[in-house]
Amino acid sequence: MVARLRCAMVCSSNQNRSMEAHALLKRHGFDVSSYGTGAHVKLPGPSLREPNVYDFGTPYKYMHEDLRRKDVDLYKRNGILPMLKRNLGVKNAPQRWQDNAADGFFDVVMTFEEKVFDIVIEDLNNREQRLTRSILVINLEVKDNHEEAAAGAKLALDLCQEIDAAGCWEDEIDDIVSKFERQHKQKVLYTIAFY
Amino acid sequence: MVAMVAASWGERADGLLQSARAACEVSSKLKQLRQLKEVLLNRDTSLLAEFVTRLAELQSERASPIRKFLAEMIGDIGSKHTDVLHEMLPCLISFLEDETPAVARQAITTGTALFGHVLEKLVIQGLYSNDIDVSLKSSWTWMLQFKTTVVHTAFQSGSDGVRLLAVKFVETLVLLYTPDPYISSDPPQESDFDVGFNISWLRVGHALLNVGELAVEASQSLGLLLDQLRFPQVKTLSNSMVIVLIKSLSAIAVKRPSFYGRILPILLGLDPAISVVSAQVPGSHHALKNAFIACLKCTHSSAEPWRARLTEALKAIDTGESIDQATKKNYREFSISTQNSLPGKGDNSSMHTCDEPSSDLANKRLNAEVSNDLLHDDVTSSKRIRLSSDMEQDLPEESSKLSADQVEDKLPLVDSVPNKDKSPGPVQQLVAMFGALVSQGEKAAGSLDILTASISSDLLAEVVISNMQHLPPICPSMDKEGSSSSKMVYSSVLPTVQLPSLVSDIRSLSSLNPLLASLLVPPSLSCDVDLQKNHQNDDEEMTDRTQTTLVDGSATIAPSFPASVLPLPHVAEHGHSAVSSIVNSEMDERKIPGVDSTNSSDEIQESHDASHSSIPELIETSQDLITGAQSTGVINPDTCQATSTSSIATSFQYVLPKMIIMDANLTDESKDQLQKEAFIRVLDAYKQAAGSGDSITRRSLLAHLGMEFPLELDPWGLLQKHIVSDYLEHEGHELTLHILYRLHRETEQDQDFLSSRTAVSIYETFLLTVAESIRDNFPATDKSLSRLLVEVPYLSEGVLKLLEGLCSPDRIEKHDKDFQSGDRVTQGLSAVWNLILLRPSSRARCLLVALQSTVHPTEEVRMKATRLVANKLFSMSSISQKIEDFAREKLHSVIEDVPVMVHMEDEELSSELQEEAGVRKKSNEGLKSDSGVMSTTQLDQSVMSSLTMEAQRCMSLYFALCTKKRSLLREIFVIYKSISKAAKEAVRLQIPILVRTIGSSSELLRIISDPPVGSENLLMQVLHTLTDGIVPSQELISSVKKLYHSRTKDVEILIPVLPFLLKDEILPTFPQLVNLPREKFEDALSRVLKGSPKTGPCLTPAEVLIAIHLIDPEKDGIPLKQITDACTACFKQHNIFTQQVLAKVLNQLVEQIPLPMLFMRTVIQAVATFPSLMDFVMEILSRLINKQIWKYPKLWVGFLKCAIQMKPQSFSVLLQLPAAQLENALKKNPVLKPPLVEHANQPNIRSTLPRSTLVVLGLVQDSQASSQAQTSQSQAADTGSSNADAATEVTQESTAISSGLQGGD
Repeated sequence: MVARLRCAMVCSSNQNRSMEAHALLKRHGFDVSSYGTGAHVKLPGPSLREPNVYDFGTPYKYMHEDLRRKDVDLYKRNGILPMLKRNLGVKNAPQRWQDNAADGFFDVVMTFEEKVFDIVIEDLNNREQRLTRSILVINLEVKDNHEEAAAGAKLALDLCQEIDAAGCWEDEIDDIVSKFERQHKQKVLYTIAFY
Repeated sequence: MVAMVAASWGERADGLLQSARAACEVSSKLKQLRQLKEVLLNRDTSLLAEFVTRLAELQSERASPIRKFLAEMIGDIGSKHTDVLHEMLPCLISFLEDETPAVARQAITTGTALFGHVLEKLVIQGLYSNDIDVSLKSSWTWMLQFKTTVVHTAFQSGSDGVRLLAVKFVETLVLLYTPDPYISSDPPQESDFDVGFNISWLRVGHALLNVGELAVEASQSLGLLLDQLRFPQVKTLSNSMVIVLIKSLSAIAVKRPSFYGRILPILLGLDPAISVVSAQVPGSHHALKNAFIACLKCTHSSAEPWRARLTEALKAIDTGESIDQATKKNYREFSISTQNSLPGKGDNSSMHTCDEPSSDLANKRLNAEVSNDLLHDDVTSSKRIRLSSDMEQDLPEESSKLSADQVEDKLPLVDSVPNKDKSPGPVQQLVAMFGALVSQGEKAAGSLDILTASISSDLLAEVVISNMQHLPPICPSMDKEGSSSSKMVYSSVLPTVQLPSLVSDIRSLSSLNPLLASLLVPPSLSCDVDLQKNHQNDDEEMTDRTQTTLVDGSATIAPSFPASVLPLPHVAEHGHSAVSSIVNSEMDERKIPGVDSTNSSDEIQESHDASHSSIPELIETSQDLITGAQSTGVINPDTCQATSTSSIATSFQYVLPKMIIMDANLTDESKDQLQKEAFIRVLDAYKQAAGSGDSITRRSLLAHLGMEFPLELDPWGLLQKHIVSDYLEHEGHELTLHILYRLHRETEQDQDFLSSRTAVSIYETFLLTVAESIRDNFPATDKSLSRLLVEVPYLSEGVLKLLEGLCSPDRIEKHDKDFQSGDRVTQGLSAVWNLILLRPSSRARCLLVALQSTVHPTEEVRMKATRLVANKLFSMSSISQKIEDFAREKLHSVIEDVPVMVHMEDEELSSELQEEAGVRKKSNEGLKSDSGVMSTTQLDQSVMSSLTMEAQRCMSLYFALCTKKRSLLREIFVIYKSISKAAKEAVRLQIPILVRTIGSSSELLRIISDPPVGSENLLMQVLHTLTDGIVPSQELISSVKKLYHSRTKDVEILIPVLPFLLKDEILPTFPQLVNLPREKFEDALSRVLKGSPKTGPCLTPAEVLIAIHLIDPEKDGIPLKQITDACTACFKQHNIFTQQVLAKVLNQLVEQIPLPMLFMRTVIQAVATFPSLMDFVMEILSRLINKQIWKYPKLWVGFLKCAIQMKPQSFSVLLQLPAAQLENALKKNPVLKPPLVEHANQPNIRSTLPRSTLVVLGLVQDSQASSQAQTSQSQAADTGSSNADAATEVTQESTAISSGLQGGD
């Protein structure tokens, strides 16, 4: 296989949905990164209004230790610890989309929430466009829970494989998307931005 | 050394190129080329000149990745070394036509970058000298050719991938060729190239480039882009093209606001076109939305006229969040800048700065602020009249305190108004022109359009402003509440037109002309509803413009009066004291210190709501306005401070006042403390809230605060405590519901999954706590719990467990509060019942709770639950099947489980016992007790009874259901044979109740007539129950009869109905009856004799006895013993089988032919029982002689026995026997002879006896005796012959008789 697409998976905290997809695409040999668009990494805390807030760049391992120390039962029960464990096997720490300029250029960005999609687009628009290099931004609505994230990751993989298989996605994206929508009965929002 | 290195790099590069050409593998070629590029760019740039041409030869390479790489390489080299660029550009241009899209795309990408690069270089070089490099010139020529090709590609159909980039190139082109308003138009100093690039630098002159020409070309290119999105064309584009075009155009619009007027009409026009197909193209729809939002965010002045339409279009796209966000963010800027197009004073030069693209942003903002203030002054000046006149009246002294410079600052501005009034210049003429046109109505729309388009926006604004003086004294009636404010403005623009119909005409005109609309609509937005109100409330005061000028000065003074003084007179006048005091007190409480009041106006006649809504806005704007005010020196901070509260109270009109909230630095702890205290205050305010009818608000507030507060403040705990402490008084029910629904909403909202999970856990804990406290604090009769559970959003498992606990209390608990638990069960069950009725979703689960309760070990609980389930729930069709299944399963569990349980419990108990014994042994070492033995028997009993209990526990529901659904009955009969003894006992205990309840229903009758195998005992019991004290129905009787005849032949089954059978029906069954065990026969006997209450006895005792006697042991197959036993049983009942009865029986029996076998036995027994019957019996005996009893050998034996027993009375009967029989008798029973001889020898008897008898007795001896003997012998021979037949029988008989006699004794 000739150089594959560079993909980025983006959700708000770079914990659940994007990491699920990241892990899956990575397993399938994609050159993939993942990001969050939020201001901080937020993980649920003991109450509704007390999330555990970390800065982007805080290693997953640290969060894991931290939460385990705080309330091992709670976080095991709600799936946070297993999730963090999965994440630390994928990469070191959550990364923020807005600060990823140094990571190079992506061909496809997959977001899992329209809000995130909008943030990514706006961010791309705000960056200086010098390269005339197109970037495909796709939004796939996925609810932020473990089950949906797993299902969403499969869809993301599917879509990325389709796009990768196309020689020139710009020519085929409409077909790919409409086929995908038909097949999975899910609406996909996409746009094209430029570096 | 250097030369050597250079040479070696040259060789190296040469080698790389050679091997790249020679290599077969694409990847290795690429590798070589990469190295070559590295060498050329970083190692020895001098080699470039030599290599560029050689590299260009690679364009004929067949592998597309190589060509693509080459295109990329051209970019890398060209951007650094423009001097060699022109040699490579032809190659790049040729790539544009490459068959592989990827190569063409790379070519465009590279070319786009190079184009900008070259242009920039060219411009800068040209700026400072007229001498331009030849290579640069040549490059530029090639670049222009490149441009032509790419632009051509962009608008031709072809590969979308290529076109997208081509469009992007056109976008870049347009941007490069047009002046950038955000970058200084003055060329930078040579040293400073980092500021970006602006084509307007060319204005100073350039050898090759002409800024005007470039602008024209940019405009044309833009036109081409726009054409793509025009209606028929747009349909042929792919989705991605549409998206990219929209994005490109919006980018151009935002970066070059001067193009707004060209781009936005297309984009806005696109909306309906796209919405036709929007279902298929959410992407382009979304892109359009983003484009609009981006355009809306643009702060440039050229963008402003479009805001209204953009907002509208966004609303149309989705009325959702995006519009709100965008408008909220920009609302202030928006309102300010829209007012810019409505400048207040013609002579205010600052207004025009807005149109200058080069104007500094901050500067512009300031100007906007100033003009804003001015505008407000103008618009509200009429208002000021009244206030200031009030002021003058009420506050004569204080007015002098106003600072002098403030007045000075203000006055010139105010003065400008009358100045303008006086000038009859072009503005007035235009006003007149507008008036004339508008009065022509619709047909003048075109002209109006042209007119507005032809005059500058500034002039137009002037017209609008100056026309305000002509506002009618009385507003058109339609401008009441709810009329659109744009009408308002129109009517003020056009004083001559006052007819509402025309006003609406104008409104329609406004839609034709977006510019006019944008000019006229914005004030309505910025001024809010207040403008209208102003007009409505103060019509009279709007009359004369000149008046305004008179008092304008004093109006600005007003705000500087002490707070308390200023608002009050005015407020009182308008009767809105409540409003102002609220505002005042609010402000006081918040301690907001500084509020600017430069342009404060005076209106207080605000509605309560309006004042509230405006407050946040006030706060928001205050900061900016203050800075503005301070920098212009209009007001000094001290005055701000002094007038703070008053101005707030007075200025929450559309003229936005400002205030500053001082930052209070609180520690986290004190913040928490404050929050908590506030929360508790709200919590404790239930009395006030209830009194004022604000309970609902309070509840919502509490629920919401609970949600917002961090958990460590424990709002839920506080709420719980509050609710629980006095559930009724604290509106516990309502509050709990409110909170639970709020929490529920949180869980249902599409939030991140964990916070919703947290909400779930709070919900569940909360509900459970409240439910538990209700349970523990309220009497069992209270309905609160039930009501709460019925109304909560959903039932959690914890609460269901609580219900389960109520409905099925533990045994231990039962011991504790035996009395109460019963009521608790009722409470729980009634709650469950309500839930089943009212919560279909929880029905199954609640049903389970109820059903579990029906098999509760405690009978009381079970009974209650069973009553509920059977009487109430079972009738609900939706759940009846479930109930039935459950009951059946439990019923069947008796079959399967019980044997196992016997075993288990045995073990369990015995082990317990052993333990116990062990303990006992230890304690009483010396005592050797045999309690073990004793308890084993006790154990059996207790096991048995506990097993019965257990079976009963499982079955009671089913039994209860049977009463409701008769068809279930059969199941009991079916399983009966396979259930354990204990269970049978349980059934035996329960079935009478059941049977009595349902009576002899058809279902039962069906079972009776066709009972399942093995259910006979049960059936008997049922029959007994059915007939016990009741007259059974005819159907029942016939069913029983049918069963008897068709199936069982077991007469036992008939016993219960015997009394109700006819004599003819009973008599044939008698042999079977007799054959029954003794007790059953006796039972049957008594029933038969007793009969039914209606018809009386079925058989008389005599008939019974006769029937018994008529049984033929051989024929009926009944053992003789059974018959004799039956007789004996009868004889025992002296009171029934009386002397008379017996006499009657004997009388009848003696007439039977043949005589019943047991006749003689009965005779003997009868006499034995009733000796007084002796005479009667003698008579019978003599009748037997007449019947020649000796001819029946069996009876003859009995006869003789009887005679022997009844001597001496029987002697006379014996003597009646013919001589031969007498002799036979005496021979058989020699004991008889002496007493008989003695008896016969009595003279009076002897005389009556025939001679032959006397001969037999030996009293006479004569010749005749021989002849008599002969006869007797022949008779004896007869007897002998028959004797031979029945010899054995006789012996049998005699033994039977003797035993019967013994029994009789």
